[in-house]
Amino acid sequence: MYALEVKSLTKRFNAITAVDDASFEVPEGSIFGLIGRNGAGKTTTIRMMMNIYMPDNGEVSLRGVKVGQDFKNRVGYLPEERGLYKKMKVLETLLYFAEIKGKSGREIQKKAEYYLKRFDLLDRKLSKVEDLSKGNQQKIQFIATILHDPDFVILDEPFSGLDPVNTNLLKDIILEMKQKGKVIILSTHLMDFAEKLCDHLAMIDYGKIILKGSMKEIKAKYSQKNVSVNYEGDIAFLKGNPIIEKIENFGNTTGIRLKEAHQTQQLLKALVERNVTVKKFDANDISLHEIFIELAGHDIENGKEDGHA
Amino acid sequence: MLNNRMLAVIKRELREKLLSKTFIFMTVLFPLLMFGIIGVQILMRTDEGNFKIDLVTSEVSLTTDFQNELTNSDLNKDGNYTFNFYTMDKAGLDEYLITKKKELLDGKINGIIYIPSTALKDKRIEYYSKTPKDISLSRRLSGPVNKVLIDNYFNNRNLSKEELDFARKGVDFAGFKISKEEGIEEEGYGNLVLSYVFTFLLYISLLMTGQMMMQSVIEEKSNRIVEIILSSVSAKELMAGKIIGSTITALIQMAIWLSPIMMIISTTWIALPAEISFNITMNHILYLLLNFGLGLFTFLGLFAMMGSIFDNPQDAQSGMWPVMLLIIIPFLMAISMMENPNSPIANVASLLPFASIMIMPVKMTVVEVPAWQLILCLVINTATIFAIFPIAGKIYRIGILRTGKKPKWSEVVKWLKYKY
Repeated sequence: MYALEVKSLTKRFNAITAVDDASFEVPEGSIFGLIGRNGAGKTTTIRMMMNIYMPDNGEVSLRGVKVGQDFKNRVGYLPEERGLYKKMKVLETLLYFAEIKGKSGREIQKKAEYYLKRFDLLDRKLSKVEDLSKGNQQKIQFIATILHDPDFVILDEPFSGLDPVNTNLLKDIILEMKQKGKVIILSTHLMDFAEKLCDHLAMIDYGKIILKGSMKEIKAKYSQKNVSVNYEGDIAFLKGNPIIEKIENFGNTTGIRLKEAHQTQQLLKALVERNVTVKKFDANDISLHEIFIELAGHDIENGKEDGHA
Repeated sequence: MLNNRMLAVIKRELREKLLSKTFIFMTVLFPLLMFGIIGVQILMRTDEGNFKIDLVTSEVSLTTDFQNELTNSDLNKDGNYTFNFYTMDKAGLDEYLITKKKELLDGKINGIIYIPSTALKDKRIEYYSKTPKDISLSRRLSGPVNKVLIDNYFNNRNLSKEELDFARKGVDFAGFKISKEEGIEEEGYGNLVLSYVFTFLLYISLLMTGQMMMQSVIEEKSNRIVEIILSSVSAKELMAGKIIGSTITALIQMAIWLSPIMMIISTTWIALPAEISFNITMNHILYLLLNFGLGLFTFLGLFAMMGSIFDNPQDAQSGMWPVMLLIIIPFLMAISMMENPNSPIANVASLLPFASIMIMPVKMTVVEVPAWQLILCLVINTATIFAIFPIAGKIYRIGILRTGKKPKWSEVVKWLKYKY
């Protein structure tokens, strides 16, 4: 059984259909990626999953039961556009967010202090939020998301604006939560992160789910004809070769798509025969980014925010 | 209805508001200001200070009569007035005025009263002063002066003492308030002062609490914290929690503001002069608080709704005039109806939704309001809450998650049809 099932969700705003008949399943214990460009409908989908928006059609069920307050109590949600009460103190803020999830008392305070220490913010627990740097405020938001020990964690673009050190810290905690059997839903337009972290995903474009399934299956399905190569020499001779469909240069690596899956050996042979030094020959490999381009037919503007989600 | 999540929201609102510097400042400052207003009112209506008056007549016998009358009067004995008596004719007076001009201007003497012998026939007397229109002086002096003139006038005629006394007496317009229960009581202007105080306090509290509510909704909306909160509580719970928190805060503040009045009416050790005594009961104050609480619910719902429509305080300030009118018009009505509290307009307004929050407490302070009207007013205000909230709640729910350009009113009306 799936932990969460999203069935035919549809949401319209006036003439615009933000989410169009979206269905996907989030398995137990997985890190699930909801992937798409800015404005593709990720946040609207999440808001409907959280019961913040009422869907025009469809429903979301938690282990077979329609989601409601029970789900809200068990979920930790880090929205993409996030804020805090500026005048509130750090610890006070954390305790308030736990309290509206129904958790309060000494235990929670201890836990809040544990996380503050881990994020190197314990000495700031009595500071006002407005006195913290933006990065530190983001840490507070993340702690607030997981403090009440939720079974489900929904993170909407969690890495935006984080420095590399804290990005790693966040990644560690996400993996830690996965080990504890939590379900993590990661919404992002950053394919690299999704590829490294997620084991299941749904790809959304213009409100429609264009791809879903486990990362392995998807890669297997799309990678058969793809080879990524690191080399020294000239491969211009490959152009016009009958076994090649497309060559794409990604800088460090070059992606080569063959017409048929069984032609990888022929390709390697051709390269060796033409004295090209092959440093890395990775058959059956394709990046999420490439898959997305293949499916959606356009590039993702990495890191460019357009405010709609 | 009331659950732990809402309690948490209420608690946060209370902590944020009750401990804010603005709240503490306003709460402490206001009673002081209010006592100030009452004090000034009282001072302005009572005489004070030491008046030095020169009283000049054109005949010696008249001077003696005034000397006898005024030195024995309360005016002199209170020490508020000091009189010097002189006798001179008009020409002498003119000269005297020139010599005394500097003293008059410096305030060493407050005024010179000239009573010519013709006053015995036409009662016309002259008063020279820097402030000749001083009402309290003419009010206090016209009695004794009249008495001396009357005595002189009737002196040679054969009249009994009773007839003379009647002739001497001025008209005394004592105000009596007719009320159902307590019979007839002499009424000072204390309640008029009170009704001003009530109007201002209610008005200021409504504006302040409403503005704070709007700011806080805008803050939550514009810095997007609302999305995190909505992942835990529903929009309805959040809105209700905020409104309940603010209402409690405002009621506490109002109770503190009214505490000096409650103290005055419930104990005897602060005695106000009879003419400014407060003729209200504790129930009156409790009714005011209850009615105010109900009204706040309605208004805070509207303020929260307004806050949710706009992204920033500037847009909100310019877009919220409809709500402001609902406060300002009743305020002006309350002030003007104190003169005529039984007019049909006042009767209707005291029962109208929005208006009754200020008008009813004021009206019941100046006149007797039948119990059924008081109850009806509460019922109407409660009904208003139930009428307003489905609309305000829906707009709030949609508005707080909207970003982008300022919506038109026509769009806001469309929101009501959305399924959110």
